[in-house]
Amino acid sequence: MPPSSDPFYTGLGQAVRIGTELLAALIVGGGLGWLADTYLFASSPWGTAIGLGFGAAAGVLNAYRAAQRWPQS
Amino acid sequence: MDNPLHPFELHEWIPISLFGFDISINKAVVMMWMVAGLVAGLFLAAGSSRKLVPSKLQAVAELFVEFIRNMILDTMGRDGMRFFPFIATLFLFILFCNLLGLIPGSYTVTSQIAVTAAFAFFVFVMSIVVGIVLHGARFLRILIPAGTPKLLLPLMVPIELISQLARPVSLSVRLFANMTAGHTILSVLFGLAIAGGLLIGWLPFAFTIAMNALEVGIALIQAYIFTILTCVYLGDAIHLHGEEGHGH
Repeated sequence: MPPSSDPFYTGLGQAVRIGTELLAALIVGGGLGWLADTYLFASSPWGTAIGLGFGAAAGVLNAYRAAQRWPQS
Repeated sequence: MDNPLHPFELHEWIPISLFGFDISINKAVVMMWMVAGLVAGLFLAAGSSRKLVPSKLQAVAELFVEFIRNMILDTMGRDGMRFFPFIATLFLFILFCNLLGLIPGSYTVTSQIAVTAAFAFFVFVMSIVVGIVLHGARFLRILIPAGTPKLLLPLMVPIELISQLARPVSLSVRLFANMTAGHTILSVLFGLAIAGGLLIGWLPFAFTIAMNALEVGIALIQAYIFTILTCVYLGDAIHLHGEEGHGH
């Protein structure tokens, strides 16, 4: 009954995590950059571009951390 | 053929407006009440006798409690046990929402981003509050990864900030997207089965059954992932950067 007992589903769960991890950070980074562009500095498109860059880095960092938590087997 | 996104539509059953907020009763609201009632009822019934040799219901409840306990101990350590009621409620509620949503004719509450985002936002705020209460201003050090050279700080702090802010987004989007995608596939396949008629319709119908079995697995995994990540995030707020020998 506990979902983690089946190795197939554990693996599936871990694989599904990485994708959303990358995407979410990109959305947040790009979104923050876009907000700064539109409401703070009128610096379009530089804020969005830099925000996306930071977001991509943060996404890779999050994916790396998620992978680090995998149980060693 | 019917619109495959039709099952996700919500219609007001009893329109209620309070101070300008729309708090109408619809299928999702009723579904959440039913889930809450079911979980509470099952566990109250299971815990009422507390025999040394457990009844079937009590054995199942003990299995769940043991599983959640191990999940908390693995990710947060002993300090995390004070969050046990919260984590257990979250896990059981999401699990039963996901599973009951698979019954044809019911509604999958977790396929609404409003619901999952509310959960994720609450978890995010809670981890910040826990961190500030436990560590005070030192909690801001969560933005500085351990062992960062001073030169790299202007680069690492924004990255770390975004990576922290991305947590509630990924938490909510993951659950919402998985449930929505699964149920869309199911309704597309079922629509094909209806449209195909007896001649060829049995083929997509067989796939519907197979997909439903997979969806049960997905429902379990997604509830598990949501809860274990909540544990991890709360654990990060409790032990800043793996202090107190908390290895991961």
